[in-house]
Amino acid sequence: MPIDAVSNFFNWIVFVVNFMWGRIPFMLDGAKLTVYIAVMAFILGNLIGIVMGILRVSGVSILEAISTLYIETIRGTPLVVQILIVYFGIPIATGIRFDPVMAGILTMGLNSGAYQAEIVRSGIKGIPRGQLEAAESLGFTYWQSMRYVIIPQALRIVIPAFVNELATLLKDTSILIIIGVHELTRRGQYIAAWSYRYFEVYITIAFIYLIMVLIVSRIARLIEKKVRIPGLGVAGGRL
Amino acid sequence: MTDNILVIEDLHKSYGDLKVLKGVSLKVTKGETVVIMGPSGSGKSTLLRCIVRLVEPNSGKIWIDGVEVTDPKTDLKEIRKHVGFVFQQFNLFPHMKVIDNITLALTKVHGLDKEKAEERALKVLKKVGLEEKAYAYPGQLSGGQQQRVAIARALAIEPKLILFDEPTSALDPELIGEVLITMEEIAKEGKTMVVVTHEVDFAREVADRVIFIDHGKILEEADPEKFFTNPEHPRLKSFLKRLLERV
Repeated sequence: MPIDAVSNFFNWIVFVVNFMWGRIPFMLDGAKLTVYIAVMAFILGNLIGIVMGILRVSGVSILEAISTLYIETIRGTPLVVQILIVYFGIPIATGIRFDPVMAGILTMGLNSGAYQAEIVRSGIKGIPRGQLEAAESLGFTYWQSMRYVIIPQALRIVIPAFVNELATLLKDTSILIIIGVHELTRRGQYIAAWSYRYFEVYITIAFIYLIMVLIVSRIARLIEKKVRIPGLGVAGGRL
Repeated sequence: MTDNILVIEDLHKSYGDLKVLKGVSLKVTKGETVVIMGPSGSGKSTLLRCIVRLVEPNSGKIWIDGVEVTDPKTDLKEIRKHVGFVFQQFNLFPHMKVIDNITLALTKVHGLDKEKAEERALKVLKKVGLEEKAYAYPGQLSGGQQQRVAIARALAIEPKLILFDEPTSALDPELIGEVLITMEEIAKEGKTMVVVTHEVDFAREVADRVIFIDHGKILEEADPEKFFTNPEHPRLKSFLKRLLERV
């Protein structure tokens, strides 16, 4: 009996590999769209995050209030609901219509911006007070101190957190199936619905996501090495 | 005008209910080296920070070279341009090479062009004996070397006054000497210095005057000879007893 079980399992593997092999180009096209959306959303989120993160610690109460309002609102509501608002709600309210991919990038970028703002803020807060004191004692204004001394160090510290955010985005793009974006997960749904091989298909899809995330963290390590401050242990780490 | 570089009049500072400075008055003349001693928490660091308003005093007046620092109309940048500050924790900018640590303020605050700034940076680095480390990063230097770079950074702005806040307290014992020697050389060149330190030998040999602060007040002020051999205030006597036992 165990022999049978082993050979059954073996046959199943051969079948899955054969079956999936033919679908790889179709799935990879979806994966490309997934990467595109994630990267564009990450860049948008990065710009928003850096601006909002700096406003949050600007010391100007109106700017801090704006940034706090943005961050709290986005983080306090579900991503799925935000997607539904942008894709279905905004066209009706304003007449501005986005195609699904654009709506996806926009929503995920705005969403990620709030989380990246918190990352930037924590990075700035992580720089020892003495750095600002030293810069100000040299005659720099608060903004000059931020620009030349604090922010360059803070951005180095938060690189791992940024990468983590990109990996999260790669995975979270899968919920764009609710507005019909033809990304990786959506394409899995097609193949599964047509072949009834739900288990095999979704395992393969999961595997592709895993590989993409692993590649991203690999690239991250290279970047960290590149921007490492000589004489300090980790990127931006303190003595 | 007299040749007072620094005048402090009846300075008060409190954090909430905690009164840190309770009416400090002090004059420092051009070329003088004044050492401030006192137990931790006595207000020494706060006093230094108030001088360039890194900490805002509650009341009292401060003049640097005749300009009132405490006047709300005074441009702080103009004051800080002429006062060097050396910190206990060095506070070099770790993401910049040594030379850039020094030239940054020269180009962005003092308006020197890059070439002039680098020339001056190399000159002050030579003075502290670290010319060959110009293109290293602070993290690649020992603590003593980092502090000497910090001193060079303060010197580069050609300050009228340099403030030292326990410059050797964060250093391993074997690295203290090189920093003190550097400071002594600067003092001998006639720079005006106010130094908060626990280094008795430095105070004895380099200071023109030693000041004892405790509980936010100046309790004694004397030349080093008298300060260490014939102190008057009982609190200074017990402070010195504790300090000298430690050595």
